[in-house]
Amino acid sequence: MGLIGSNWLVVPIVLPLATATLAMLVGRRSAPYLGLLTASGILLSVAAIGLTVLEEGTIRYQLGGWEAPLGINLYADGLAVFMLLMTAIVGAAVSAYAVGYFTSRQDESGRVAGDSGDRSGSFWVLWMFLWASLNGLFLSADAFNLYVTLEIMGLSAAGLVTLERRQSALSSGMRYLFVTLLGSLAYLMGVALLYGALGALDLATLGELMYPGAATWSALALITLGMALKTGLFPLHFWMPAAYSNAISPASALLAGLVGKASFYLLLRLWFDVFDGGLGPGPGQVLGLLGAAAIVWGAVMAVRQRRLKRLLAYSSVSQIGYLFVLFSLATTASWGFDAWSGGVYHAFSHACAKAAMFMSAGAIVRSVGHDDLDRMQGVGQQMPLAVAGFALGGVTLMGLPPTGGFTAKWLLVSASLESGQWWIAVVLLAGGVLAALYVLRFLNPALIQVKVGPVARPATQNLEVTAFVLAFGSFFLALLSAPLLALLRIGTPFASVLLVGTP
Amino acid sequence: MLSLFFDAVLALALPLLAWRVLTTRDLYRAVILFIAFGLLVALSWARLDAPDIALAEAAIGAGLTGALFLNTVGGLVGRKRSPSRESDESREVAERREAIQSSPGEPVDEVMRPWWVRLALTVPILALGLALGWAVVSFPEPAIDLAQQASDNLEASGVDHGVTAVLLNFRSYDTLLEIGVLLLAVVAVWSLDLGRVRGGQAALSKGLPVLHGLVRLLTPIMIIVGGYLLWAGAKQPGGAFQAGAVLGALGVLLVLSGLVRPPLSDGSGLRIGLAVGFAVFLGIGTAVMLATGELLNYPPASTYGLIIIIELFLTVSIALTLAALFVTAPPRKEQGSKEHSEEKGEES
Repeated sequence: MGLIGSNWLVVPIVLPLATATLAMLVGRRSAPYLGLLTASGILLSVAAIGLTVLEEGTIRYQLGGWEAPLGINLYADGLAVFMLLMTAIVGAAVSAYAVGYFTSRQDESGRVAGDSGDRSGSFWVLWMFLWASLNGLFLSADAFNLYVTLEIMGLSAAGLVTLERRQSALSSGMRYLFVTLLGSLAYLMGVALLYGALGALDLATLGELMYPGAATWSALALITLGMALKTGLFPLHFWMPAAYSNAISPASALLAGLVGKASFYLLLRLWFDVFDGGLGPGPGQVLGLLGAAAIVWGAVMAVRQRRLKRLLAYSSVSQIGYLFVLFSLATTASWGFDAWSGGVYHAFSHACAKAAMFMSAGAIVRSVGHDDLDRMQGVGQQMPLAVAGFALGGVTLMGLPPTGGFTAKWLLVSASLESGQWWIAVVLLAGGVLAALYVLRFLNPALIQVKVGPVARPATQNLEVTAFVLAFGSFFLALLSAPLLALLRIGTPFASVLLVGTP
Repeated sequence: MLSLFFDAVLALALPLLAWRVLTTRDLYRAVILFIAFGLLVALSWARLDAPDIALAEAAIGAGLTGALFLNTVGGLVGRKRSPSRESDESREVAERREAIQSSPGEPVDEVMRPWWVRLALTVPILALGLALGWAVVSFPEPAIDLAQQASDNLEASGVDHGVTAVLLNFRSYDTLLEIGVLLLAVVAVWSLDLGRVRGGQAALSKGLPVLHGLVRLLTPIMIIVGGYLLWAGAKQPGGAFQAGAVLGALGVLLVLSGLVRPPLSDGSGLRIGLAVGFAVFLGIGTAVMLATGELLNYPPASTYGLIIIIELFLTVSIALTLAALFVTAPPRKEQGSKEHSEEKGEES
């Protein structure tokens, strides 16, 4: 592998950190170019890591040259690379979007409701820190180091929410900060218990030493609670609609697309690599039930919304439910890998689709000056590309072929039928129908043929194009399911990898 | 016997103080109680033979955080409540506020918490407390003794103090990211654009010769103490965080007494000072890859020197970060300031 080979692993972490520092010094005029350069660098390094993992298997990297458990290790298996790839794709698209979003606001004639700009020039610094923390989280193999990445993630995400200058954004950003700090603290307390009971922080070592007892049960409960709060699992989603809908649109896309996935990933990693599947079947059933409730509740609330970005936020409440369903399905039985990979696949396709939809919505809100669903008649004629991007993302949420959502649902549904929990399959399919209903809440008025004039403030082409490209990617994600599932199989905690239902 | 008594008093006082901090309605009093709480926590760390954490807790947990809270409470004093909210307020709330308030204009916690809210909060907290207690009591003997491993490898770490070895060598990656958190905190606070809630310009700044004399006297002493803590960190409790906290406190004093103007200097100078610690740490961490092939793996011959260089720059940035968080006024660059003043004009 050589010197360069394994060192690819630190590039997705070190590069955005360096850019964040530089972006703080150079000011906002050249920061976007630095951001785009970094995005391409991260894409390149993730591709290199992915190829290495596909060819040579998992990679372990000793930071500072110290072996675990004394030092901190980075670890790349199929799942970590999968999440890196998701972040790189969505992150690159949002970066390109943000360039247009912030530069085009200088020719603005008046204040537009909904979205304002980045007056202090902090977007790129915050976003680069966020990206570094996401990559660091996916690659970390150390329980305390994961806490540090969570801290960077929460702080930078809260900073992104409050970039919007309105009072409502400030208060929902503040609430988001409290929620995310509470979640991180619960996690830290769990890690402290693990360290007290087992004496190590390295995840692989913890997994070997795991035993069911008072300390480990408490740790599992605290960590799960903290991460469920950060991910926004029903009924702990109370902070989500306000935070997602009040933030500037690039930040909404990042929060809904990536930040929620990171805390979910952490839970997945710890449950299956450290806690041995949740220390028994009971806890997984609880999470699965909450996930099923989230699918229905979030979708019903989404249908009832009157504002575009709030609709998308409640749709996220619903879609997050799909992720948690896997906890009640992923057991050591033969369908375990199906359920696990289905949930992870859903994370990928939802990240692309929801980010694209928030980006489309952002372009629309900027141009028409409001996000009132009842006044969206004819937007499809004014901004065809943005509406098309929204529609493609919407189809992915419904889970129709050939979207990534279809692969995910196929795997989850077949696992739930295989395991005899058919009621989960019913909820999963009902969620798809409800998704169609709330997506049409916007598309219906938008596609009506009415006489419309030009929009108040034409968006730059860049916004619509980047949103559309990302949505397009999520739409055809099922076509890549063979290589992506092959990637996920590398280093998976599920011994029997028997794919009952490959589409 | 005496130490047991002392520990028992600490163990009783901590939850009692914590409860008082949370329930005191007068915010000023709550902050003072919080500072006292922080000092007792620092004492507890000292009793647990963790002097490094005790130092950091006293300086940052009690000292600077307390100063930040006081700053905030000071910003709330005498703030006019908006008329719309005043009229919405039910008479009951108004009466209650009068009952709480010792003197008019003092900020108080006005959030009403009915008994069922308190109960709903108490139950999970009690459950958590019981679970934690049960877990800690039932800890097995850990299979791995990391502290032993750390002291076994101390010789190779380049420094003689275990805590410094962990922070800057064994787990230097964590520390690198934590320094990133500090930098990020300043950026996040600046992004709020809190121009008007500028701290550090308290009434203190006007013509107090005794204060000025005292601060002038303290300045060299604090610089020496900070420098000593930094240098001592290689062998005994101390290091960049503690030194930075002392120097940061000095920065707060200088600003409070009016000897240094709040936006510490012009924008880019401050920005460089804030970022230099993180940049040097990241730069050295990456550069050593050429020699050893791994991120943050220092070449054995130069480990001590590199750690000291990193700590030196970290101290500067930590001190500036803490002082900058206290001052909060973000330095504006280029057209930013113009835009902002325009917006202000519109509002007024």
